[in-house]
Amino acid sequence: MVLQVRHVSFGYDATHGFALRDVSLAVERGSLTGLLGPNGCGKTTLLKLMAGVLRAQQGSITLAAAGSGPAGRAVGRALADIPRRELARHIAVVPQETHPAFDYRVIEMVLMGRHPHLGPFALEGPGDLAIAHDALAATGTGHLAARSYMSLSGGEKQRVVIASALAQQPDILLLDEPTASLDLAYQLEVAALLARLNRERGVTVVVATHDLNLAASICRRLVLLRAGRVLAQGDTDAVLTGDTIRDLYDVDADVRFHDRSGHLTVVPIGRIR
Amino acid sequence: MSATSSSVATPVGAGLRPIRLRLTLTVLGYGALALVVCLLAPLVGSTSISVSRALDRSIPFADNVDAQIFFLARLPRVLAGATVGAALATSGVVLQALLRNPLATPFTLGVSSGAALGAVVAIAGGMTVGLGPLSPVPFASLAGAFLVSAIIYALGTRPGRPMSTDVLLLAGVTLNAFLSALILLVQYFADFAETYRMVRWLMGDLDAGGFLPIAAVLPLLVVAFAMFATLPSALNLLSVGADTASTRGVSVPRTQRVAFVATALATSAAVTLAGPIGFVGIVVPHLVRLMTGVDHRIVLPASALFGAAFLVACDLVARTVLAPVELPVGIVTAVIGGPFFLWLLVRKS
Amino acid sequence: MTGGLQASANQRPATRIVSLVPALTEMLFAIGAGPQVVAVSAYDDFPPETKTLPRVGALLDPDVERILALRPDLVLTYGSQDTLESQLGGAGIRAFSYRHGGLETLFTTLRDLGEVTGRTMQATRTTDDIRRQLDAVRARVRGRPRPRVLLVFGREPQSLRQLYVSGGAGFLHEMLEIAGGTNVFADIRRESVQPSSEALLTRAPDVVIEIHGTRMITGTDAARERAVWSALASLPAVRNGRIYFLNGDYLGVPGPRVGLTTDAFARAVHPEAFR
Repeated sequence: MVLQVRHVSFGYDATHGFALRDVSLAVERGSLTGLLGPNGCGKTTLLKLMAGVLRAQQGSITLAAAGSGPAGRAVGRALADIPRRELARHIAVVPQETHPAFDYRVIEMVLMGRHPHLGPFALEGPGDLAIAHDALAATGTGHLAARSYMSLSGGEKQRVVIASALAQQPDILLLDEPTASLDLAYQLEVAALLARLNRERGVTVVVATHDLNLAASICRRLVLLRAGRVLAQGDTDAVLTGDTIRDLYDVDADVRFHDRSGHLTVVPIGRIR
Repeated sequence: MSATSSSVATPVGAGLRPIRLRLTLTVLGYGALALVVCLLAPLVGSTSISVSRALDRSIPFADNVDAQIFFLARLPRVLAGATVGAALATSGVVLQALLRNPLATPFTLGVSSGAALGAVVAIAGGMTVGLGPLSPVPFASLAGAFLVSAIIYALGTRPGRPMSTDVLLLAGVTLNAFLSALILLVQYFADFAETYRMVRWLMGDLDAGGFLPIAAVLPLLVVAFAMFATLPSALNLLSVGADTASTRGVSVPRTQRVAFVATALATSAAVTLAGPIGFVGIVVPHLVRLMTGVDHRIVLPASALFGAAFLVACDLVARTVLAPVELPVGIVTAVIGGPFFLWLLVRKS
Repeated sequence: MTGGLQASANQRPATRIVSLVPALTEMLFAIGAGPQVVAVSAYDDFPPETKTLPRVGALLDPDVERILALRPDLVLTYGSQDTLESQLGGAGIRAFSYRHGGLETLFTTLRDLGEVTGRTMQATRTTDDIRRQLDAVRARVRGRPRPRVLLVFGREPQSLRQLYVSGGAGFLHEMLEIAGGTNVFADIRRESVQPSSEALLTRAPDVVIEIHGTRMITGTDAARERAVWSALASLPAVRNGRIYFLNGDYLGVPGPRVGLTTDAFARAVHPEAFR
């Protein structure tokens, strides 16, 4: 196990009730997991909890570093007990949108990902610069390093943000709707990038998305959330079915394996009343 | 691929030298500028003096008018200009990052209105109570500044959670408007001479009256700058996004609170010393960003040094352009700052 | 120079006068026209008779309704109160606006007030009295060396910031010159100057006079305020201990008591002439 969520409940404030109720899931090392569900189901909240940005009111979230316990077994530490800087060296988050208040350059944005690794004066050295360039290369944005972030296209921006998360050298990468505002070509690009990162670099990836086909294309495990509760979780083939989609979205859909793409595809047919 | 070869070989690194180098060059460059300006400024004034005579120790001080002018009038003034300029410029940078708004000024969060209210009440009420080396009006303006900052801090802070920057901004704008009305009310009931003095105070004045008032606010400034020094990298991360900053190891609530308190301290000290001098806190950060980029690790020290140089230079102009009459320095900064700001806006659009 | 009588067609002496300008009120009472005054400004308090009179505001907030309700036939205003004057004109009420200037303007104003109140003889007598007082001061200080004097009429308490001093124009300057002192800022032809520390050090006054007309400074306050000047210890006035605080509500008022003021100045500038 890498990241374990146990019976977590969370509410933003008294008037809005619980955003998440009794959620349990496990994120294994090297997995590519999708969090699926309609808007407001709690995906983003769950991601923030897993990143340590929010603190669960009930339950616990623990992180186990490899071989940290006796006999190589992973020992979990509660997120709340891990100092923020240290946590940042293990978990990185790619938010849905990034709007810097100032006109940073791409390389500056990526170097900010080195912050958890830097000393008190936070001045990066040649090693950090190398890691940043490496991260840019991994996302195919090396040629943009000197450009202004704000001048980039949506797809380029998203890839740069992913690069800056990669610069943190995290064990786990959490992404919130990474393809939501992208054109089709970029959606495919980002999806392929995530799959490659997971496959070639062993980065554990958790993607929150409402794009069923994206999830089907790259995620090997799925967690379905509805109204703050886990509806189903498990291997994609097992979990992504017409029945679960009906329960989740009140939509009648066809789920079948698509030969040419090599993964399941979801075709919505109609709304169920 | 090593970093040095990548910064030379590929066009990627060509625009961006290593941070340590840039920081060193920045501090040296702007530091030299500030030093030169501060060394030249006491030599020039509404009266022409002979520097060699001023520094001539063989003449007793009591008979050496040039020395008196140099040491008693000009030096404190240049020192006040440098500290106030640095304080306001740095506060401007930090507040712009905290509020994620490039149009924020050190006065956005009510400090100068609070100070102004304190000052006008002291002038109208004929207050005679000071605090140590602080005479009544500066003391009252310091108290006013602190009070308003405390109110806005209390409104915008939530325990254990990030500050609400929207609430901070709205509270600042509202309090500024409310306090301005109160200030007008006090002015209305004051007699003519008092009203004129209030208006004069509101124009700002670097002739603080010797070294003592500077020494009085120095502790505030030292604490403020010590806090500023811990902020630059966190401000970079914060200005990209609060949640993102949090996931990179920044304690967002703590960074915001340190930024707020440091800005309040520095601005309060500046306004107590010299009255509200506008435009420094917005012109300097933007000018510096045009020259150095937006990395706060560079912009912060550069703004402090450039702010000192800028205000001392403006005061030089204020003292000499219409000699023997001396303009309030706030007028010079506004005359330079206003058109500059419009130019910036035109350029952006 | 603007000022004086508006709508001077009406030649009858004014019998119901409203005065918004304390200096003019003083003049009215000095020429015996006190009984003709029906209301004064919020800041009037001399002579004592004015304290029982109704108040109608001042420069920034004249109470037009109250003024009209008193049915005056003459209103003494500040030169800048154009709106008020046009309102009064609309109601057919004469307005007399205060003129700002030196001692000669003062005498001219006294004469005009005498004409408009039907007290020309008393006005002449008052003018002559004042001239006699001024001549007396001139005589006392004649032939004596003229020290350089800084005449301060306002500053921030316990600080040398926001100093307001008399420039080389206006009645304060003229009274100082009569009192046998040379104004250090005589070359700046303005009534009010705000000098910096540098300017003070350059001008190096031998005598500093601070006039306190509204808030009297005495006792420990005075000692504390006097100590403030030691920040510029090299000024001759500070070195020789010639810093004088003058208290009195007549100080700084361009009215009939200027003779008193001039005399007070002379006692500060030439103490030896009064022994």
